[in-house]
Amino acid sequence: MKKLRVAIAGLTACSGCQLSLLNCEDELPRMLELFEFHYFPMASSPALMEGEYDAVLVEGCLSMPHEKELLQELRRRSRYLVALGTCAVCGGVAALRNGEEREQLRQSVYGENQVASETYEPLPLHRVVQVDAAVTGCPPEKEELLRLLAGLARGVLPVAIDYPVCTECRMRENLCLLTERSALCLGPLTLGGCSARCPSLGVPCEGCRGPVPEANLAEALEIYAEKGFDKATVRDRLRRFCPEWKL
Amino acid sequence: MAPQYIANHNLPLLLERLRRYAELHGPVRGEDGVVRFAAIAPGTLPDLSALRTLLPPKKYLLHPQETILNYTAAAGYQLQAEDVRSLILFGLHPCDLAGINYLDRVFLGDAPDPLYAARRATLTLIGISCTPDEFCSCHILPSPLNALSDLFLCSVDEGLIVTSGSPRGDELLDGVKDLLEEWEGAVPEDSRRFFGHAEAEQVRPEPDATLPEWQEFASHCLGCGACSLCCPTCYCFDVLEFCGLDSCSAERVRQWDNCLFKSHAEVAGGTNFRKERAERFLYRYRHKYRGFGPLQGVPSCVGCGRCRVVCPAGLDLRPLAERLEGRPL
Repeated sequence: MKKLRVAIAGLTACSGCQLSLLNCEDELPRMLELFEFHYFPMASSPALMEGEYDAVLVEGCLSMPHEKELLQELRRRSRYLVALGTCAVCGGVAALRNGEEREQLRQSVYGENQVASETYEPLPLHRVVQVDAAVTGCPPEKEELLRLLAGLARGVLPVAIDYPVCTECRMRENLCLLTERSALCLGPLTLGGCSARCPSLGVPCEGCRGPVPEANLAEALEIYAEKGFDKATVRDRLRRFCPEWKL
Repeated sequence: MAPQYIANHNLPLLLERLRRYAELHGPVRGEDGVVRFAAIAPGTLPDLSALRTLLPPKKYLLHPQETILNYTAAAGYQLQAEDVRSLILFGLHPCDLAGINYLDRVFLGDAPDPLYAARRATLTLIGISCTPDEFCSCHILPSPLNALSDLFLCSVDEGLIVTSGSPRGDELLDGVKDLLEEWEGAVPEDSRRFFGHAEAEQVRPEPDATLPEWQEFASHCLGCGACSLCCPTCYCFDVLEFCGLDSCSAERVRQWDNCLFKSHAEVAGGTNFRKERAERFLYRYRHKYRGFGPLQGVPSCVGCGRCRVVCPAGLDLRPLAERLEGRPL
């Protein structure tokens, strides 16, 4: 079988998603049989873009002019473009303060120094290019990453999950932290696929995987209000990972 | 012959004796307070006071997520090999027994499911009586399903009256006969009396799709799936195939699905037969209270109350069902 040519790039993010891929140590030898990781600056140098790619995986959001150019360049060269991780899918923590005055934010971090003067409000990838598939999560689940790669090797994109964290939480027969402990658990609004990793350890869902399709925000806000959480508290929690929540 | 009973102080002995036949599972309260069907540790007692476990016993027959087929280029598709052990499920309430009866009709009917059949054959069911609480509806909407078990225990103050319902039950009774005494007192009403009402097996007209209730349910539903995941008779599943990280293997996975999910009625090309959540509630209602397909006329709600208990939005189809079904016992 011909090896697939793949590029893996990071924009504004912590590199944790790319690292999750490199952490699949047991599977790396098999990956190398299926893929040629041609452009992967975090893992190998020199990294020079060249020719066309079967797929590119992009971590992070866009916050600097050169990132937009890089992303568009990758898009032009690739058959599939996959958003890797929450920042790429919905903006993530870098976009936490979107909506606030940009120059003030810059000065509070860098002072009078002109560092980061070229940055703009972080954007998820889909605002700039067409995204063919997404693997969300902060960071993504190893299993999902491997399934994505295995699928790409056969020319198929992953099936999008459409259920919230609660579904897998119930499958694991966990105590419901929202109804039984009145915790601000974002499970009902957050895309599943993580096997309810946090609630299974007694930690309320922080919403790191972004919104589930058809999220019923109005009802969830009513339930949270009954538990004593006002709209501002819920909004801040939701927007920690996904600034695009409208509330 | 007077009924036989086992005195409360002999319950630990009964459990130890049953353990000789198979692994023993029953309702166990975890440290987090959640009651689940789980292994009863030697020397401990199951929680027989709990009215319902979080997940019903269907989890033993259909796992939430499981590989059903494995593919390799050399062997093609092969059934997933499974090490099935004999299991005694102790302390099943009549509703859960009826739930298993329903699943049996679905999965052992015209085209038996091999995984289900293999697991079902290893189960011994020991039922126990109970008293409905405000969430239950077995006593309001009786079911045509049968609450069948190998042994059935009926609680009285001093212990449990024991009756057998199968050759397997006879075998177990014979093995514990030295622990049994004759019961001289009154026998309470049978908890299973709400089940097996065959006259309810009649095809009824379709529920009115224009009722405002469907929209009302939809506006509150979070789409979390708890109602059907925790339902003893919801068996809808999704089938996914994942390729291996090589050029020649794959696994086919079956996982619990839910009729309230967006993808449940979605087909190739993105067309959806039930685009709106309100339509999905009507669909759910039809399955739970009218039945469809080969089991048309057989309502699948066994009245366990789990859907009402677990719904974060407190949704409850029962008042509507009481109005639309209106079948006094």
